[in-house]
Amino acid sequence: MTPDFPILTLLVFLPLLGSLLVFACWRSDTLVRWVALAVSLVELALCAWPLAVSDRVAFPGAPAGFFLFEDATWIERFGIRYTLGMDGISLVMVLLTAFITVIAVLVSWEGIKERVPLFFALLLAMQSGIQGVFLSLDLFLFYLFWEAMLIPMLFLIGIWGHGRRVYSAVKFFLYTFLGSLLMLVAIITLYLMHGSQTGNYTFSLHGMLNTSVPLGIGVWLYAAFLLSFAIKFPLFPLHTWLPDAHTDAPTAGSVILASLLLKTGAYGLIRFAYPLFPEAAHAMTPVLYVAAVFGISYGAWVAFAQEDMKRLVAYSSVSHMGFVALGIAAWSPVALSGALMQMVNHGITTGALFAMVGMLDERTQSREIITYGGIWGKVPVLSFFFLMFCMASAGLPGLNNFIGEFLVLVGTFRVSPAAALGAFLGIVLTLVYTVRLVQEVLFGKENKPLELKDLSLREAGVLAVLGLSAVYLGVHPGPVLELLKAPIELLTTVK
Amino acid sequence: MSVPLSHVLILASVLFAMGLGCVVAWRANVIMMLIGIEIMLNAVMLTFVGGSAHWGIADGQLFALMIMALTSAEVSLALAMVVYLHRRKGSVNTDDFDSMKG
Amino acid sequence: MQTYLTLMLLFPLAGGLTCALAGRKLPRQAVEILACAAVWGSFVCAALAAASYAAPQTVTLGGWFSSFDLLIPISLYLDPLSLSLAVMIGFVCGLIHVYAVFYMRKEGDYARFFALLNIFVFAMLTLVLAESLPLLYLGWEGVGFCSYLLIGFWYTDKNNADAGRKAFITTRIGDTALVIALAWMFQLFGTLSITQLNGMGFLMPGSIVTAIGILFLIAAMGKSAQVPLMVWLPDAMAGPTPVSAMIHAATMVTAGVYLLSRMYPLIGSSATAMATIAVTGGVTAFYGATCALAQRDLKRVLAFSTISQIGYMMLGVGAGAVTAATFHLLVHAFFKALLFLGAGCVITAMHHEQDIFKMGGLRKTLPLTFWCYLAGAACLAGLPLTGGFFSKDSILVALWHKGGTLYQSLYALALLTALITAYYSFRMVYLVFGGSDGHKHVHVELKFMQLVLIPLAILGLFGGVLNLPSYIGEGFLTRFFAGLAGGAAVEGTHTEELALQAVAATIALAGLLAAYVRYGKGRSQRLLEAKAYPTAMAAFLLNGWYFDRLYQAVLIRPYQALSGVLWQKVDEGVIDDSLDRLAGGLGFSGSWLGRWSTGRVSIYIVSFAAGGALMLGYLAWLAL
Repeated sequence: MTPDFPILTLLVFLPLLGSLLVFACWRSDTLVRWVALAVSLVELALCAWPLAVSDRVAFPGAPAGFFLFEDATWIERFGIRYTLGMDGISLVMVLLTAFITVIAVLVSWEGIKERVPLFFALLLAMQSGIQGVFLSLDLFLFYLFWEAMLIPMLFLIGIWGHGRRVYSAVKFFLYTFLGSLLMLVAIITLYLMHGSQTGNYTFSLHGMLNTSVPLGIGVWLYAAFLLSFAIKFPLFPLHTWLPDAHTDAPTAGSVILASLLLKTGAYGLIRFAYPLFPEAAHAMTPVLYVAAVFGISYGAWVAFAQEDMKRLVAYSSVSHMGFVALGIAAWSPVALSGALMQMVNHGITTGALFAMVGMLDERTQSREIITYGGIWGKVPVLSFFFLMFCMASAGLPGLNNFIGEFLVLVGTFRVSPAAALGAFLGIVLTLVYTVRLVQEVLFGKENKPLELKDLSLREAGVLAVLGLSAVYLGVHPGPVLELLKAPIELLTTVK
Repeated sequence: MSVPLSHVLILASVLFAMGLGCVVAWRANVIMMLIGIEIMLNAVMLTFVGGSAHWGIADGQLFALMIMALTSAEVSLALAMVVYLHRRKGSVNTDDFDSMKG
Repeated sequence: MQTYLTLMLLFPLAGGLTCALAGRKLPRQAVEILACAAVWGSFVCAALAAASYAAPQTVTLGGWFSSFDLLIPISLYLDPLSLSLAVMIGFVCGLIHVYAVFYMRKEGDYARFFALLNIFVFAMLTLVLAESLPLLYLGWEGVGFCSYLLIGFWYTDKNNADAGRKAFITTRIGDTALVIALAWMFQLFGTLSITQLNGMGFLMPGSIVTAIGILFLIAAMGKSAQVPLMVWLPDAMAGPTPVSAMIHAATMVTAGVYLLSRMYPLIGSSATAMATIAVTGGVTAFYGATCALAQRDLKRVLAFSTISQIGYMMLGVGAGAVTAATFHLLVHAFFKALLFLGAGCVITAMHHEQDIFKMGGLRKTLPLTFWCYLAGAACLAGLPLTGGFFSKDSILVALWHKGGTLYQSLYALALLTALITAYYSFRMVYLVFGGSDGHKHVHVELKFMQLVLIPLAILGLFGGVLNLPSYIGEGFLTRFFAGLAGGAAVEGTHTEELALQAVAATIALAGLLAAYVRYGKGRSQRLLEAKAYPTAMAAFLLNGWYFDRLYQAVLIRPYQALSGVLWQKVDEGVIDDSLDRLAGGLGFSGSWLGRWSTGRVSIYIVSFAAGGALMLGYLAWLAL
């Protein structure tokens, strides 16, 4: 392969091609599953290439920090270009996406029994959209992928969900769509402002970076971006779509929603909103601080009261993503790398927890905590993993989440001790709900005599891979932090 | 001798108002409504011709011819529809045709 | 040295992981041997490290994580303090592992038990040896996690699991203070290396040092069960007895004392912080001793006595006597492990009866346990010439020499506590072993279990030689710790020291005498009294001054209630409901407006005409 090989395009569109391929094999459900798995594995394997060149200083013609870059004219008249670029941050997110999609395919192996080809096709199509979000450097293209990844999720929840699935799907869609429409308005405003200032009408991120936006307007534009991303995050008080969407989504939907879709909000904030409107972002930092700190404790507190395991994990996401928001608000190198670490770690830990709740649900058709109790003795392997991911989620050092939270807290304390102090409360509250979950599911007496089987080989494999990555990132996060270092340096010094 | 534009416009407005009044008042009968519409169209045509004569530009005349052609097509189509509708419901009252209700 | 330290940590880690991952497939004996071998291997490494120890040194094994200027290496620090603790941990934990093999003979879930015990040893050694504070925090949380699961080892009983949860969450409150201290110190000093931090205290104004000191104290309060975060330790006795001996007596609970001693060069310069530590220690020592007076459960007596003894250690640190505190920590580890293991023998022999008022006569049926237990109780009571006497006395001497009203009154409080301690120690001995109504249940396991008590009894009784008072000879620990900040020996004349020791000895003997009169001679009467309803005072002490109820009412209930309110009233009630209403309102207004399109052409035409008229009117109004 030559250096000119469009690897990024391949990364983005391979899953989409895969979803067409899945349709082509619609006659056999088994074949469909294997094809989907193969496509997602190939995608994961392809990530090795960017990883291999990640130490390259810069790609010729690319903005600083981007070691892979593709640029082509697309709609010339409006200055819309097809621009993909990869730096360390994108690479980490792309890797996470490829990894989690494999997991998502595997956890829906037996759980999905109806319209199997459509399910896997949508799953892969969504992956295309997410990869596109993480790679595009043109605001129009970004917006396109941003909307494109919503639609498969809407159908995943609406068709294969449980409970009030249509309500949840519509709620999810309306929430996120409202936010992104505001973002579109902001993008177009910025486009026109930049065009009228320089005569060069372009949607390119790096072209628009040096637009001089008066603070008065900049705050509004930034607020539109922030609102859109904060809904995805989700930040308090824009989070109420999340518990419903998670609870009613199929397992793979929950896994992808928690592990990947929430991350796109944080990614957008880091990649687009902050660099485009540095002054406005700085002016509105207190808002982000308050939402983050409040969300950390609030999410943890509300999670404690939940009776549905999925809902509990969903609220815990609100709390964990609060740490990410806190790190972004602090915008110091250490805090920012903590925020990105936390994104990866939350993706793995919470994804694993959703997968495990799904496995329990498949066994007993119940997600209510009250159904369980004292299952440790019956299903030791499952319980072992459950405990491990719960503890990772509670930030036990040696497992992955600790690294991110610690970096965020230490980094934020430097910039704003007051905000960090508020977040420390979250350390205790997180443990309170996690231990409650462990307690009432694994320990105590059996509430009902359950027929539980321990993990199958496929399930154990999925969890073992997730568990190993949790331990690896907790013990030796160096490589990931190293990838993030250069882009964060660029981001924080530009300001 | 030439008629001043204002006179033409006044006549056109009066004609238009009469056509509109016909459409609004006689809505029980589609045929009468069509006639009202024709009168309104004629008022518009008159305005075009008057304007054309006033400024000495042929565009207005062209439009008048265009509207004539359009009207003949429209009337034939509309009458066909009236016949069809009458056959279906046995009525030419427009208020009976409310299947597009919101 | 690097090899010894690495292996010291790797042995228990590898043992723990093997038991956790493959333990259920391995035969029982293999797991038992593996677990014991791992800990003893670790002890041998510690002993070898001690033998080749020359001067304090830092060993870096690699990097853990780093981000820009925040560098967290995996580095270990060996100095007299960490070395003496590591050797003690290796030895005591090794013995307790052997004991546990016999104690847990009949339990099914041996793999989980030994995996957790081994991982605990790993975490504890990491805590003690860590040179960077985040690594210490790793050990700190690791021991908390193992303690959580081991307290709740018999998880099918909800009470056990709840006790584990209580311990985990209560200590987490303290841990939060530790993380705050870490973040703050990184902001101030730009490093989290203990050795560097300890040399930088002078750079900061006193008020900040005080604040950091108090944050460390809060961390220590959680882990070391000091007032007001002490409520978890008595409940933690729900775990198997070897666990209580190892985690909740000898090692983990003293981690707070270790932390404060470790950071002493940094925080010792703040008189306020030191005074706060001393007061916390004094109050806790008194609190624990009074509660121990009224307990009926053998293990709870020991738990409260542990709280009280750690209070003494805190007093020692607060008085600036790190050597004395560590001395007491080491000796306490021996005799308290001994007492717990002895209690384990007693409880096994009594078929899991733990009420001391239902015991008796074990002096004859379990003579070996009796003598060892007596040695432990003598140490706890501080009877002259036992190890406990010397170590406790060195703290008292340090308090006396510190001078000032505060420390003098703390000295008085500590003496009073010593009296109570001697009294409750022998109350326990008389009730458990005295009398004649004995049972005879000696199992095979019990014989082996008793053997473990002997080395601990010897170490407890003769632990005093670790640090003999200066009038007999130079103390080993004093010499060993001389280079440490706060390690210097307290200066005083020999007569003064002798006089102070005489006072302490008299007090201890007075307590013994009182216990003899009430529980030795008046035993039968006390047994009758115990059947009656407890007096208000006894109930107050029995329930640990009702702290549990207080926290239940002030913290736990409101937290639970509020979480429900936040969820159903705020989250679903206000935020979600308002949005649902908004959506509903939009839908309703839409369908309401939709009624306009009736489908009646006439209405359309009229609206059309009215609209046209309006526009024309508006234009006319503009023109005129």
